[in-house]
Amino acid sequence: MDALAELSKGADHLVHSFDSAYIVGSGAFGLTQYTFWMIICLILTVVVVLVASKRLTLVPNNKFVNMVEYGYQFVRKDMGEDPIGHGYKKHIPFLATLFFFILISNFVGLIPGCKTPTGSISVTWALAIISFVYFNYWGIKTKGGLGYLKSFAPSGLPVVMVPVVWFLELFSTILRALTLAVRLYGNMFAGHMVLGIFGLATSVFITAAIQNADFVMALPAIGWIAFLLCMYALEVLVAFLQAYVFTILSAVYIGLATSDH
Amino acid sequence: MEITLGLAALKLVGYGLATFGPGLGIGIACYGCCMATARQPELQGRLFTNFIIGAALAEALGLIGFVLAFIV
Repeated sequence: MDALAELSKGADHLVHSFDSAYIVGSGAFGLTQYTFWMIICLILTVVVVLVASKRLTLVPNNKFVNMVEYGYQFVRKDMGEDPIGHGYKKHIPFLATLFFFILISNFVGLIPGCKTPTGSISVTWALAIISFVYFNYWGIKTKGGLGYLKSFAPSGLPVVMVPVVWFLELFSTILRALTLAVRLYGNMFAGHMVLGIFGLATSVFITAAIQNADFVMALPAIGWIAFLLCMYALEVLVAFLQAYVFTILSAVYIGLATSDH
Repeated sequence: MEITLGLAALKLVGYGLATFGPGLGIGIACYGCCMATARQPELQGRLFTNFIIGAALAEALGLIGFVLAFIV
């Protein structure tokens, strides 16, 4: 029972380690650990893409360049052409920036000792609001202010139903910003919390076994570390999937806002 | 033995209930997407996009439950 008490004490400490804390300065000029890692991810994104684009050749002969090109091709084909359709080319730079930034942020967080910037709700809110403003801007630009507002209700409805459907659609459009932000934050935060709990459980049981010189007590630790490895593999998948989902949903929203029904 | 349910515990129960519907919904949507893809593999791209839209709509309810657990 000693180990369990230790575990719940450690879990409290773990939860607090996810709060954003200032590492330099304080107030409006401070730098929290999430901001710090976000700046690192930004630099990493810019460096990766710039280095790859400097070495572009007609026939790819470099594995790194090939990888970045494949990622770009993936954004262009799967996230640009399919959901947006006609006139997708002008949205590709925006979508590719979102995808590469979120992907690199998610993967940086998986390296032990690093923090994922997308595990902080402020960062994901910023990303979601950028996406929200972007698709509304393009919707208004294509259809005009009044036309865009009208286009919430699909044409061909009975006259009585139009205000109800219009209001529901408006509500769900506003909710898109919230869901984009919370989906990314929730997945990254919860994933890292689970990894942290499993890691903590492993170390607590091993410590208890060493202190008591009783190796039967170390057996649960084997199970915990097996769980930890499985969850880590799952988190690698989730890190990619969430970047993909965020980008493809932005693309789908752009497509819905700019297409005429 | 006296059992007391604090506000924090009730939040967790509420969030658990909120995940039930979206979980079912996404499961059904994924089933439909897989079935349709098996029948017409050439439409896979568009089917998957539609699946993502539907899953996002269903998931919104679960996410609202998650947010409410923080707010209330």
